Amino acid sequence: MLLDIVFNAFNGLIQGSFYALMAIGLSLILGLNGVINFAHGTFMALAGYFAFTLVPYTGFWGALVLGPILAGAIGYIVEQLIIRRLYLRDPLYSLLATFGLALIMQDLLRTIWGAQGLPLAIPDFLNQPVSNTYFFVTGYRLLVVALAVISTGALFATLRFTRLGVRIRAGNADLETIAALGVNIYLLRSANFVLGIMFAGLAGILAAGQLGLTPTMGDQLIMPSFVAIVVGGVGSLFGSLVGGLIIGIASGVTTAFFPAASEVVIYLIMGLTLIIRPRGLFGQEGLFE
Amino acid sequence: MTPVLRTEQIHTYYGKSHILHGVNLEVREGELVALLGRNGAGKTTTMRSIMGLTPAREGDIFLFGQKTTKWSSYKIANAGVGYVPEGRKIFGHLSVHENLLVPPVTKGRWQIPDVYTLFPRLDERRTSKAGKLSGGEQEMLAIGRALLLNPRFLILDEPSQGLAPVIVQEVMRTVGKMKHEGIAVLLVEQNAFLALQLADRAYVLSDGEVVHEGPAAALAADKERMEALAGVAHG
Repeated sequence: MLLDIVFNAFNGLIQGSFYALMAIGLSLILGLNGVINFAHGTFMALAGYFAFTLVPYTGFWGALVLGPILAGAIGYIVEQLIIRRLYLRDPLYSLLATFGLALIMQDLLRTIWGAQGLPLAIPDFLNQPVSNTYFFVTGYRLLVVALAVISTGALFATLRFTRLGVRIRAGNADLETIAALGVNIYLLRSANFVLGIMFAGLAGILAAGQLGLTPTMGDQLIMPSFVAIVVGGVGSLFGSLVGGLIIGIASGVTTAFFPAASEVVIYLIMGLTLIIRPRGLFGQEGLFE
Repeated sequence: MTPVLRTEQIHTYYGKSHILHGVNLEVREGELVALLGRNGAGKTTTMRSIMGLTPAREGDIFLFGQKTTKWSSYKIANAGVGYVPEGRKIFGHLSVHENLLVPPVTKGRWQIPDVYTLFPRLDERRTSKAGKLSGGEQEMLAIGRALLLNPRFLILDEPSQGLAPVIVQEVMRTVGKMKHEGIAVLLVEQNAFLALQLADRAYVLSDGEVVHEGPAAALAADKERMEALAGVAHG
């Protein structure tokens, strides 16, 4: 029984790592760009497909590095052509535009790579369990958790210790004033959008190695990722990380007892958060007032 | 000699409301110019138009001889304009030091250690959250931040607002120091007496139009006009 719970909790941790990576990218973009990116899940899939195509040439590790960069490059083009026009408009515009973008991109993925699922090949040794008792702890799953920790750690260090990070944090609070202080906010917003997309890309490749690729693979991840933001607190990247892990693990543990409720529990947690602490675990009060 | 700032008949709107009705201003090299007027006269809007935050819809703005009417704010700042906004607008959730990391690095006399030398109190509070500073310290931070651009022209919007008289004196001394360093200054103030002590020339705005311009001393001696201005400053 205990092993069963640990098994499901660990599954939840993996799932939670994907939610957290997605939620952090969404949070970054929501903060500085002020855009709710409904196409985030599709960028995630896009990076996974890029990796699929790259693996024969670069191997898994090369694809893991290049996939998010290529997705980021597409993100830059999309920012220049579409997202840029949404700044300072009502959030409804960004919802509609990015939702439409998601549909278009999914059809492009279907056209190029086909509608049927594709596997992303990962190195054999990563598929081995690290112990016989904990058969579910494979090298790949440890890699997922490690990369989630390393990439968010690197992001937090960037935000804390570099001028770029300081400007992103200042711009989240007051974009107009950083512009009047000489910061090129157009460039800063592009860079921030690309950064957010690269996080989606990393999540996409890691998820593809575990679950395989479909054009709509992001759809199952994007709603829980929004929930992670609400639970962790809008405006807090650390909150998005914790929120993602909490709902992932909660959903996993629920599977051990009552599998049918494993998805509902995510929304129950969100409901409870909104009742008890509407700003979320680490959110600022009155952010949208 | 090319003036630091010249606005030619600028008209600025917030949405449909027409705020500035053809404002003409000039600030010359090394000059400290006061922009006075009651609440809602259009002083802050004039500043925002110059900084490109609320661009003028008609008319032209020239900074250092270049037409900047439609420029982005960041480009205007990088051309050498330091802006200390109304209400200071410091980044409250960042530390004092982080606030000073926001402007780009520029060559010149003003680097971060120089700001700490000018305002030792900021040095002592380097790691404090800027939101926890007193009003006077926040004003120093806002000025220090603007100086890091090594501006040739400094725009200050109501630096004395909400500060204790002793602190106001200190802030004004700093503004005077900037002028002595050769930085041209445009100073917006509700407190006309204070501004005219420092200024070379002054403009008075009313309902989005310049209703008076001339040497600061002459305006300070004009009792009637001063009372009209002061009636609001103290009322």
